[in-house]
Amino acid sequence: MSVVILILAAVVIIALLAVMFRNNLVKANISVDEAWAQIEVQLKRRSDLIPNLVETVKGYAAHESGTLEALVAARAKSTSASTLGETAAADGQLTQALRGLLAVTENYPDLKASTNFLALQEELSTTENKVSFARQFYNDNVRKLNTAIGTFPSSIFVGSAKVAVRAFYEVENPQDREVPQVKF
Amino acid sequence: MDFRKLQSANKIKSAQLLFGMAILMSLVVWALLTYFGNVGIGVVPFAVGIALLSVWGSYWASDTIVLTMTGARLITESDNKQLYDLVSEICIAAGLPVPKIAIVEDSAPNAFATGRNQDHAVIAFTTGILQVMDREELQGVTAHELAHVANRDTLVSAIAATTAGALALLSDFMIRIMFFGGGNRRNSNDNNQNPIALIASLLILILAPLAALLLRLAISRKREALADATAVAFTRNPSGLRRALEVLDRDSTVVHQRSNAIAHIWIESPLDGSKTSRLFSTHPPLSERIATLKAMEGTS
Repeated sequence: MSVVILILAAVVIIALLAVMFRNNLVKANISVDEAWAQIEVQLKRRSDLIPNLVETVKGYAAHESGTLEALVAARAKSTSASTLGETAAADGQLTQALRGLLAVTENYPDLKASTNFLALQEELSTTENKVSFARQFYNDNVRKLNTAIGTFPSSIFVGSAKVAVRAFYEVENPQDREVPQVKF
Repeated sequence: MDFRKLQSANKIKSAQLLFGMAILMSLVVWALLTYFGNVGIGVVPFAVGIALLSVWGSYWASDTIVLTMTGARLITESDNKQLYDLVSEICIAAGLPVPKIAIVEDSAPNAFATGRNQDHAVIAFTTGILQVMDREELQGVTAHELAHVANRDTLVSAIAATTAGALALLSDFMIRIMFFGGGNRRNSNDNNQNPIALIASLLILILAPLAALLLRLAISRKREALADATAVAFTRNPSGLRRALEVLDRDSTVVHQRSNAIAHIWIESPLDGSKTSRLFSTHPPLSERIATLKAMEGTS
């Protein structure tokens, strides 16, 4: 009698553990999706800032039309990107173009002093940080999911939980993998 | 040093300390049984109940209580855009909802976070800290505070406080009963008591509150070290928090509210003006925290 109870208890515990490990995989997969949505939100935010930035800079630095055009082109590319790879590549180019423009603005003291630009500057630096933290959060979640998929015992449930190893969000520019730049 | 290793090391250490609390509790129950027999055990649920009641309320309403106690004023995005941006940036890195943000009118640089969970969290800064720190340093401070929210440190300290409180009550009851005729009861209940066990249980009852207090403070210090490591996991920038702590180290002004009750929630202990002994401090020494962050700067 007591043997039966012991076996039953063991079966129940194993079943509970199995459910737990499988649910962890499903949750890790959902976290990656949510983190991806956060990247999209932040990229959209940044994208929406650019027309305003372009208008502001144009007024003071008409000579920099090349830099401005590069920025507008990079923005267009990023809005049409759909896959993870495309988005990351376009994100990298847009980040570069923005840095190029901000570097150029150093030569225009009138522009730097304008109230419009000052307000934009805080908005741009917080947006850059947010984009960068969203990428980092996504990659952290991908790392957790991929670790769970690759390690026992959660690896048993990969099929039943319908999860697969996800790709990291890698921006081409290696600088972007580093600490977000803080400007003030 | 790697922040992931530091995070798990500090998590394990604080779990061990909480386990130590549980062992201490069982020792006290054993001592009660030995000294008073089954009569003494009736007091345990009573003491735990009182401790739970007193701690649970302040845990549940921690955000509103602390805001009132410190006189913090809630702000919105338009009051301080940069501060709001800073906090929401770290929230993205941490995957947390944006908490309530508050400002304490105080020239001493300091900050805290509390709240029973991430949906009831509040993060507060003194006006002093906003003046003396640049954006990167404030980012480090914000990350440290939100690390407390992410690590559920209000809950951890509530558990530690409940156990320590229950132990203090138990020992207090028992010592009173002993002095007011507990001896008679002991003799009538048991006539074959082992004298060594009696002395040991008496010692346990007397020393338990002190041991519980030391454990509670040790847990608080480990959670602070953990929050520093988690903050680096959020920002990937140990130097921001390191420089912020150096600013706090150089600064000699201390928050006016020197209430013991909420000393543990500030980023820098407001009580450490004098040289308090390490064992009795809620925070690890700033110099040690700075050294750990410096060691992380090379690797992360």
